[in-house]
Amino acid sequence: MADLKISALHKYYGTMHAVRGIDLEIPAGEFTVLVGQSGCGKSTLLRTIAGLEDIGSGTIAIAGEVVNDLPPRERDIAMVFQNYALYPYMTVYDNIAFGLRARKTPRSEIESKVQAAAKMLAIDHLLDRHPRQLSGGQLQRVAIGRAIVRNARLYLFDEPLSNLDAQLRDEMRGEIKRLHQELGKTMIYVTHDQIEAMTMADRIVLMREGRIEQQGAPLDLYERPATKYVAGFLGSPAMNFIPAQLVADGGGLALRLADSTRLALPAQRAARYATQRDRAVTLGVRPEHIGRARAGDTRAGLARCAADIDLVQPTGSRTYGTFRLGGQEVIAELQAHDVPKVHEQVELAIDMNRALLIDPQTEAVL
Amino acid sequence: MKVQHRRQVTQAARFVGAVLLTVCFLFPIYWLFMMSFKTADEIYAYPPVWWPSGLQLGNYVVLFKDGDARAVWNSLVVSSLSTVAAMFLGTICAYSLARFKTGGDHLANWIISQRMVPPIAVVFPIFLLYVWFHWVDTYFGLILLYTAFNLPYVIWMMRGYILDIPIALEQAALVDGYTRWQVLWKVVFPMCRAGLFATAVFTFVFAWNDFIFALVLTRTEVTTYTVQVTHYFGGQSNFWAKISAMSVLGTVPIFIVVGFMQRYLVRGISLGAVKG
Amino acid sequence: MTRDRQFQTTLIAPSIFVLLLIGVFPLVYLLVVSFQGITMTANDTSFHGLRNFAQLMQDTRAWESLLHTLVFTGVALPLELVLGLLMAQLFIDHLPGRPVFVALLVLPVVVSPIVSGATWSLMFDNRFGPINQVIGWLAGREVTLLWTIQPNLVYPAILVAEVWQWTPFMFLLLLAALSAVDKSQLEAAAIDGAGYWRTFFRIVLPAIWPVMAVAILIRGLDLFRLFDIVWALTKGGPGTTTETLSIFTYVKGFQQFETSYTAAVALLIIFALSVAVTLALRRVQLSR
Repeated sequence: MADLKISALHKYYGTMHAVRGIDLEIPAGEFTVLVGQSGCGKSTLLRTIAGLEDIGSGTIAIAGEVVNDLPPRERDIAMVFQNYALYPYMTVYDNIAFGLRARKTPRSEIESKVQAAAKMLAIDHLLDRHPRQLSGGQLQRVAIGRAIVRNARLYLFDEPLSNLDAQLRDEMRGEIKRLHQELGKTMIYVTHDQIEAMTMADRIVLMREGRIEQQGAPLDLYERPATKYVAGFLGSPAMNFIPAQLVADGGGLALRLADSTRLALPAQRAARYATQRDRAVTLGVRPEHIGRARAGDTRAGLARCAADIDLVQPTGSRTYGTFRLGGQEVIAELQAHDVPKVHEQVELAIDMNRALLIDPQTEAVL
Repeated sequence: MKVQHRRQVTQAARFVGAVLLTVCFLFPIYWLFMMSFKTADEIYAYPPVWWPSGLQLGNYVVLFKDGDARAVWNSLVVSSLSTVAAMFLGTICAYSLARFKTGGDHLANWIISQRMVPPIAVVFPIFLLYVWFHWVDTYFGLILLYTAFNLPYVIWMMRGYILDIPIALEQAALVDGYTRWQVLWKVVFPMCRAGLFATAVFTFVFAWNDFIFALVLTRTEVTTYTVQVTHYFGGQSNFWAKISAMSVLGTVPIFIVVGFMQRYLVRGISLGAVKG
Repeated sequence: MTRDRQFQTTLIAPSIFVLLLIGVFPLVYLLVVSFQGITMTANDTSFHGLRNFAQLMQDTRAWESLLHTLVFTGVALPLELVLGLLMAQLFIDHLPGRPVFVALLVLPVVVSPIVSGATWSLMFDNRFGPINQVIGWLAGREVTLLWTIQPNLVYPAILVAEVWQWTPFMFLLLLAALSAVDKSQLEAAAIDGAGYWRTFFRIVLPAIWPVMAVAILIRGLDLFRLFDIVWALTKGGPGTTTETLSIFTYVKGFQQFETSYTAAVALLIIFALSVAVTLALRRVQLSR
């Protein structure tokens, strides 16, 4: 296995600047997820690492070796494609063995390696079949099998689960993660699905418009996002954003919303922002931090408000209620069995300890 | 950037190769065109003249004066009308086969097998049939023949194109109150326009370039240009001039048609193979 | 649903009528006449049994024409295929102005085979043709090869004209097929470490084989019926050296007026072709 170091990488498609100066260091053995919306450059970045695309400027180094000018076959990498890219006129066995045969591996070695990989992925009973006879999940496993059989030093995954249905995707997520634990190889995984990113990554690299917006451990990005974009990207349902203004409130600070609602900040946080009185901010608070107020719950930092629920969405494990606050549609998370009627008035408590204050212009989290 | 450099060099090399290839393939056509503009002296000059001194149209004038150029007109009339007929009859038949599976596999297979019939094998009986009907050397006769010979191709190709059109469009039109004929005209024909053009070009070219049927089924009235060209073979002193001029006269219209329809032609050839 | 039935009948009736007239009648005629004894001199319509067919089996000129046809087919088809494939490979990657090149390269295909033959007659002219001139430059002395008359030169001449005209057809078809190959498979092969040739033989060729098979079938059929180009260049000569099966049939029917005999030949051609095509189609279907 190998580490990966990318420095000042730029890539252009004609005049379009697809990758704008990426610096990325991935230690050996880590599972890194490149995540972002369509068009953010994550697939492009992956393909330049693979050598399938040229770079404009910058360097890519695998295990200390600069690979800019090396064609894909000499980079000792393996890749799993979104549409599997299996060879339709070969059997599963031949598909998996293809790379080994290309490198003139002796036949007995091919046999043992292919069998081992197939067994690891539970497809050893499919070795004689052709791709057109397999289901989506099986195809995906064969594609993974083809990748792992060569024991490459770096593994690249290009949205491998996008073509699978939801249930299969959940299954395969766990399997890929387990695979990483078993093999311990450096893996770079591209997806637009933030759930995949959160559950699978050792490190998330969130990309936006060709740049890295933020990178770090999943929970770091989730609990301490650097920008509004990161805060809104991770988490489902997404974080609620409400324009507000920091105002004095008694001895401390509060947030005054457009509809004159006041939400008091707990003392410690008020201390941090004391110098920023009268400043306009955006309040960011996740649905799981807005719940039904319970009598007797007197923890500091809980701001109460009355809400008129106009949309109820029960998922079975929890219920989401939408209401208007500060001129915005806000989603709160309630207990599963707590299903209010539409237009029912409920008393909600917002955990202001976990709320984020965001600069409206720079979108940086304060 | 070594990889990029190499790619640019190979691209440049391929470009040069492409140019050379095109020159080689077009040279004979150039020679033919150029020959038609030569004077008699230039034609029989030795060593051969590669570039005529002027674009003199004397050879063409001769053809028009002698009335031989009528052959091109004949080709035009016969090819256009047979193409229109074949396209119309063939497309509606193809529609029936595509949407209703009329006649099932048997009809479809029979129609396809008609395409495989070698002209040389049937030209004699058809000749006798035409003699009996007094259709030899008539416009109608030749048009009918080309229509018949192009029908299988048109049916086969248009059936494929029609099958590619989502049937929901026609069903929506029917629900909206259109008759079946209106659906054909207003929905189906416009939707498969690209296929219509491509197939029509092929049909036209096939009729235009045909030789053996024209040779057997025409005498003096409806001679097409292909037959006319062969009349100049055989040892007269100015036959090269007439051959080349006549050939050019017969080839330029096709070049024009193909030039306009070029996109469709290329797609038509490739799709034809994929559908086949 | 009788209205639908009516509609269908109206749609297919004219086509079927035309096809029956021009398609079925000749076959029936051939079937009948080939068993009779009609010649230039005798209008003998009595039943002659298989005499015409037996005579055909012994006719050396017929067998020679078949041989000539097979030689043309056997040489031209692979040449066109390989050249077309090479050309397609040249154009498959990005190239500036590719549509222009393709449009220009299509032109030989749309020229009439007669014109193609005439053009190459011009090119191969022994005194005024550029081919001899260029050869003369290379050889350093004047060259007056009689391409359309000398027996050992006529085959190359005809083949050059034929390959010149139809390689672009193969090229177009194969270019389309190559473009349709799934790029991600090629990328996967690149990452797996496959070199150029391995990728070509294991991945590209199987992928374009369906189109190639159709191309071979179409051109093979056309080559078997070769008439126009040969007629324009040599009229089957010198003597009968380049006489193809089609030319032989034409001569027998329209120059010697051996009606029944020609009918027998025609019938056999149709039969042989049908068998060959059916077998070929079945093989192509199976291999998919």
